[in-house]
Amino acid sequence: MFEIEIDGKLVNAEAGEKLIEVTDRVGISVPRFCYHEKLSVAANCRMCLVDVEGAPKPQPACSTPVSEGMKVSTQNEKAKSAQKSVMEFLLINHPLDCPICDQGGECELQDVAMSYGSNVSRFNEGKRVIADSNIGALIHTDMTRCIHCTRCVRFGTEIAGIMEMGGTGRGESLKIEPFLNEGIQSELSGNMIDVCPVGALTSKPFRYELRSWQMNSTESIARHDLVGSNINVQTYKGKVKRIVARSNDSVNETWISDRDRFSYEGLSHSNRLLKPQVKFDGTWKEVSWEVALDFCVKGLLRSAGESNSMNSLGVLASKTATLEEYYLLQKLVSELGCENIDYRLGVKDTKNTINLESNVKLSDLEKIDHALIVGSYTRLEQPMINHRLRKAALRGGTVDVINSMQFDFNLALNNENIIIPCEIANLLASTLKVVLESTNQDVPEELNKLTITKSATKIAKKLLSSDASVIVLGEHVINNDNAKNISNLVAMLAKNTNSSTLNLSKTGNSIAADIAGFFPGKDGLDVNSMLGKDMNAYIMFDVYPEYDFHNSSTAIKALSDKNSFIVSMNSFYNNNVADYSDVMLPISSYYETSGTHVNIEGEFQTFAASVKAPQESKPAWKVIKVLADLLDISGFNYSDSSNVLEEAKHNIKQGHRAEESINITDTNSVEVIWQPSPYSIDALLRHSDSLQETKIGQINKATMNSSTAKHLNLGDKDDYLGVPVVISSLVANNCVFINANKSTPSEEQA
Amino acid sequence: MNEVCFKNIDKKEPWSLSTYEASGGYSVWRKILKGELSPENIIDELKASGLRGRGGAGFPTGLKWSFMPRNSDIQKYVVCNSDEGEPGTCKDRDILRFNPHSVIEGMAIGGYVMKASVGYNYIRGEFMEPFYRFEAALKEAYKTGLLGKNISGSSVSFDLYTHLGAGAYICGEETALIESLEGKKGQPRFKPPFPANVGLYGKPTTVNNTESFASVPEILAKGGKWFHDLGVKNSGGCKLFSVTGHVKRPANFEVPMGIPFKDLLDMAGGIRDGRKLKAVIPGGSSTPVLTADEALAMNMDYDSIENAGSMLGAGSVIVMDDSTCMVKTLTRLAHFYYDESCGQCTPCREGTGWLYRILKRIMDGDGKSGDLDLLNNVGSNILGNTICALGDAAAMPVESFLRNFSEEFEYYIENGKSMVKDNV
Ligand SMILES: Cc1cc2nc3c(=O)[nH]c(=O)nc-3n(C[C@H](O)[C@H](O)[C@H](O)COP(=O)(O)O)c2cc1C
Ligand code: SF4
Ligand code: FES
Repeated sequence: MFEIEIDGKLVNAEAGEKLIEVTDRVGISVPRFCYHEKLSVAANCRMCLVDVEGAPKPQPACSTPVSEGMKVSTQNEKAKSAQKSVMEFLLINHPLDCPICDQGGECELQDVAMSYGSNVSRFNEGKRVIADSNIGALIHTDMTRCIHCTRCVRFGTEIAGIMEMGGTGRGESLKIEPFLNEGIQSELSGNMIDVCPVGALTSKPFRYELRSWQMNSTESIARHDLVGSNINVQTYKGKVKRIVARSNDSVNETWISDRDRFSYEGLSHSNRLLKPQVKFDGTWKEVSWEVALDFCVKGLLRSAGESNSMNSLGVLASKTATLEEYYLLQKLVSELGCENIDYRLGVKDTKNTINLESNVKLSDLEKIDHALIVGSYTRLEQPMINHRLRKAALRGGTVDVINSMQFDFNLALNNENIIIPCEIANLLASTLKVVLESTNQDVPEELNKLTITKSATKIAKKLLSSDASVIVLGEHVINNDNAKNISNLVAMLAKNTNSSTLNLSKTGNSIAADIAGFFPGKDGLDVNSMLGKDMNAYIMFDVYPEYDFHNSSTAIKALSDKNSFIVSMNSFYNNNVADYSDVMLPISSYYETSGTHVNIEGEFQTFAASVKAPQESKPAWKVIKVLADLLDISGFNYSDSSNVLEEAKHNIKQGHRAEESINITDTNSVEVIWQPSPYSIDALLRHSDSLQETKIGQINKATMNSSTAKHLNLGDKDDYLGVPVVISSLVANNCVFINANKSTPSEEQA
Repeated sequence: MNEVCFKNIDKKEPWSLSTYEASGGYSVWRKILKGELSPENIIDELKASGLRGRGGAGFPTGLKWSFMPRNSDIQKYVVCNSDEGEPGTCKDRDILRFNPHSVIEGMAIGGYVMKASVGYNYIRGEFMEPFYRFEAALKEAYKTGLLGKNISGSSVSFDLYTHLGAGAYICGEETALIESLEGKKGQPRFKPPFPANVGLYGKPTTVNNTESFASVPEILAKGGKWFHDLGVKNSGGCKLFSVTGHVKRPANFEVPMGIPFKDLLDMAGGIRDGRKLKAVIPGGSSTPVLTADEALAMNMDYDSIENAGSMLGAGSVIVMDDSTCMVKTLTRLAHFYYDESCGQCTPCREGTGWLYRILKRIMDGDGKSGDLDLLNNVGSNILGNTICALGDAAAMPVESFLRNFSEEFEYYIENGKSMVKDNV
């Protein structure tokens, strides 16, 4: 630490810092375009030129390292004249079409030009015009406005990890454009809109909608992944119009995924459920809330029958509810004496699935020196976590993978094991054996008969030799026949190699569901047992059966056939729901209610509602509260959702924990991994048209290798479980990896 | 004349190893291999010789070599800059054609001094004959056991590779050259860090001009003092001047520093018959233009040319007689820089195009009264504000052309045509 002088003020600086970092810290404003604190320094725009005593030429603040005794002027004649020169150069070929530019009002060029530009142009030659390229459904380009700062190019190579935008041509014909005609495909592409200082890259869905100053902005939390990225929700007249990233270094830095940025489009989809409806004699009638709720209460009480027992009520919710919603719904039915509660609708066997804690901070994830990923394509499934892992890899960390299909990771893999799902547990067990043996510990009997493979030795050595390692367990194994073993093995491996763990199977807001106790009570039924029984009634919270249940047609059949009384709260209309339900209550979707998301660190992130729930739909926590009142249950007099949160925090429940037991079973049939495609994981996403149009949104394929295809008697024109077959050697033998943007498999198939 | 790089120019097959060795070539290198010359020794001799970088900036070569972290074990590189793209320059081409072994030996010595075991010679894309000559020489040197790993049983290793550019002037700028060598688009890097710390593949690297390297063996063979005394104060030794333009015998001449410009002009056969000297660009297109009087009074060394108002640059003397239209000349130069700007930094990308367009408009007869002030102002707004010196190179001629030949520009603006009637 030493002192330097800037504009006559003495300020502290750290060796290695760049001048602009110091001026930013102490609040001295230096104009800039190419500099971005999360990207490498390019020093190409030259806007940040300042005068450094002793240097003959003005120096760029963004790339000039501080040195002891340095004297800098950001304001004197030399600095000002350099800055003004650059400003003029930037403007001569800029179209100055601010009146028709979406960036107007939030444009860095416009802002800086107000202070550094001249009000007359000396440029009387023809201006440059650049043809635009269509780069996909999310980003609109107006490349004539580009000032060649290369932020988007650097974002691509440095953050997104794929070079999609680049500079072609030289001199005046330097063009920033995508190299390929396929458009931009990164799952983080929308951040280019945020980093572009001008109106060259703007949001396509938002194009020509509004001026930035017309909108209100509220802070919120995105809920499509385990991170809970911090966002600003921009609204106008009660509608969400745009979502942009909000910086929070411990969560999402300054980035958000495209999923989080563009899913809001679904909020105004025509398929929203907007009015309470009740089924009379098999036909749906729109009714008032009073009538609908009265119908619910009567129906529920009637279903309890003579014995007045709620034993036969089932309560199911999707993975995307808020902590408050989970807590209240669970409290409501518990008070009624019902213990049949579950949110794990996509799990084949809740007794045989992953129960693993996550115990590493997101900001520490980028500092790990080794990661072992099991059963996940982190890049598309958890983009922001993948980003941290990628940063670790760029810092020299290594990444090993155990998957059943080879994926297009954007980080260098050290050792990629592509194996059939039933071998995953064996490989992990064999790895554990190596670990135990090489640390001179007792090897449990179950492991004795295992032969140690080369792969296991390699994986074990890496884990043992790393100081800060993490084992990442993903969604692909939730329905593995050895899911529980895998989960236990990971926990034991982590314990014996001093690694941390990340459980990526707790997607959406599942961690909140666990904390709120939204799982079967001691004598309660889990989701599959409920469906197998004759339940008299159900309360279904934002469930879309063809997507949410592991086995959709069995579930739909179970819900329709039996004569149960079914209350459904949904934010979107759904045909199956309409078929089996007796009441449909329209509830809030994302950004329409206050609530809390709990991320993978266990961080409670609470948000306010950004807009009101549309038409007659209502924030779900209020609906549950009123229902409780009508059922004469006390303890529900909350004035707002923060009271609910307080209470929930005092009643934190423990989810299921990993055990130290292994009992591996063998399979020998073709194994299927069913993974919804990244933009189909919840109802809001499925209704976001622009996202659905992207390459990622279109992913819908059952990938298998040629020998599996032969075995199943399939060709690449066929469908498998309703999903088009793609034959590729990237998949392990005897395995079908399905990435579907349609419903989950039906009974005959699964 | 012709004492260093052109020493063998009149011999038969001057480029062959045998010719080179017959005149003492590789004697210094062999001494090094035998362990008879220390790096410190060599640096001292180079410093004493007064050799300054021949690529244009004139930075003392001995000093530059001493900046490399010689004693650290990390990989280091020496790179020879044979990109020679500056309009008016054609000396490196002839060194590669007629004396390629001097470049190889010079680079090997550099590698030894700076503990860089690998070298690259980056040759301009259009230089086919020089490229083949150099490649052939390289083969000979390897075959004779002068290059490679642990050369003739010594602890010295040096591998040398040729790289052919793709025809971009900017790749002559040393950091753009490094980017290009790495397989990337040729765009200069900002400095600091300097190549001596972070260069090729992020490793310490020294880039020198072809002529700088080619001069080293002879300097070490005959001694720094010998070389120094060939020239004058601050400009040691001799230098290749490429004399082009309106002279009877355009050619490269290796002459002692400090000879009068007049004498150099005579060597080139003088001005075309019936014509008078009008202007001289003494150091390549990016150096300021001088009037005939200024040029005729000056000597060819760093200080004299600077006193005359220009720079020695790469020693590329462009001679213009009275048939030259200075507006047209400047327009042509402006077009060159406009065309060759890499485009990454704002003042150069936007400014070079602006300069060219104003000049083009004047040439088209649409000049306006404020244009000359504007030209000057745009030029000075580029100057000093760019990442690399290409921006400066584009701006500097503008100022000097307008200063020295203002009446021609004013005439063109007023009359829509050149003041020079028999302009050809
Ligand atoms: C635009 C530009 C073009 C250049 N072209 C060349 C070139 O063709 N050859 C060369 O030796 N140096 C060229 N230079 C200078 C190099 O950057 C560098 O200073 C030189 O190679 C160093 O060698 P020296 O110290 O032996 O002169 C150029 C510089 C600029 C800014
Ligand atoms: S001065 Fe010109 S050539 Fe040099 S970096 Fe800037 S744009 Fe590129
Ligand atoms: S911000 Fe420093 S050069 Fe662009």
